[in-house]
Amino acid sequence: MARAFLREDDDYVALLDTTERTVLYGLMQQTRTLLSPEIEPTGDTFDDLVATMGLSLSASDSATQPDSSGLADRDPALDRLLPTAHRGDDQVAAEFRRLTEEGLRQRKSGNLDVALDRLSDASGDRVVLGPHQAPAFLMALTDVRLLLGERMGMRTEEDAEALHAAMEVIDDDDPLGYAMAWYDFLTWLQETLTHALMGTDLALGEAAYDEDDVDDLTEDDDYDDVDDRDHDVEDGPRGAV
Amino acid sequence: MTAATLSLAPVEQEVTSTQDVVAPDLPWVTIVWNDPVNLMTYVTWVFETYFGYPRPKAEKLMMDVHVKGKAVVSNGPRESMERDAEALQGYGLWATFEKDE
Repeated sequence: MARAFLREDDDYVALLDTTERTVLYGLMQQTRTLLSPEIEPTGDTFDDLVATMGLSLSASDSATQPDSSGLADRDPALDRLLPTAHRGDDQVAAEFRRLTEEGLRQRKSGNLDVALDRLSDASGDRVVLGPHQAPAFLMALTDVRLLLGERMGMRTEEDAEALHAAMEVIDDDDPLGYAMAWYDFLTWLQETLTHALMGTDLALGEAAYDEDDVDDLTEDDDYDDVDDRDHDVEDGPRGAV
Repeated sequence: MTAATLSLAPVEQEVTSTQDVVAPDLPWVTIVWNDPVNLMTYVTWVFETYFGYPRPKAEKLMMDVHVKGKAVVSNGPRESMERDAEALQGYGLWATFEKDE
């Protein structure tokens, strides 16, 4: 059973069992594959920057054609991970994409590489993130959840509500239910790391993940909890700054 | 001689002329749109981390995204807004930039 990310001195530590780490590792690998840049990051930030510049320069040769044809072949999930940056002007959006996409792919891939490394480096179920690795891990979790959400058709708030409602009647062996259970688990895990980074750690007693919430998809306690958190925000900022 | 002139006088002049010429231009804005995946706490963290906004401001913007469906999170010249949109997309937020209407 998982335990939340909590701060330990300068590190952020969660307890994830083998299954949890294996599934998360696989999801992160898939996200990494989808996002792979044309030029792989070297780990040297200066080399990576130069490589990106070289690519965006050479790409300008082929940018005379609007890249609508290229976009048509794109995995739709990519439009969620690398969305259009200008609504209403396709040309501005295409130009922005041409200039930024490779760099974004490199940064996101770099975050996922950090996260994959931390997961494989876990010992005794302890996943330990240093101060600079924690934000990378957090962003990697975001991209994994964006991809998983897109694959489940979760594009609007209404989609999300419909999916959660469908969980109440779904067959136990339906793959969608399985995906949704892991999605909820990752949501919880990301929430705990965010709280830890913001200095609003969960109390130890709340830090355990209740696997019944994953297995028993007919209960939607999780979403009630999320609603409660919404109200907390309206009551005022949480935690001391 | 040239250097001394350049280092002092034009600075003052430039401020005046910048205001005259640039003021009629509408500034550009960066917008973050609501989506069903990103967590409220995470969005707040991103606004704090990237912009350095204090928590109350970050939470107010997050709530605007959540309740109103979008929020203007920064404004300024186009180049800055493109940079903000790119950075926020790096965080996984759905960020766009446009000319403020």
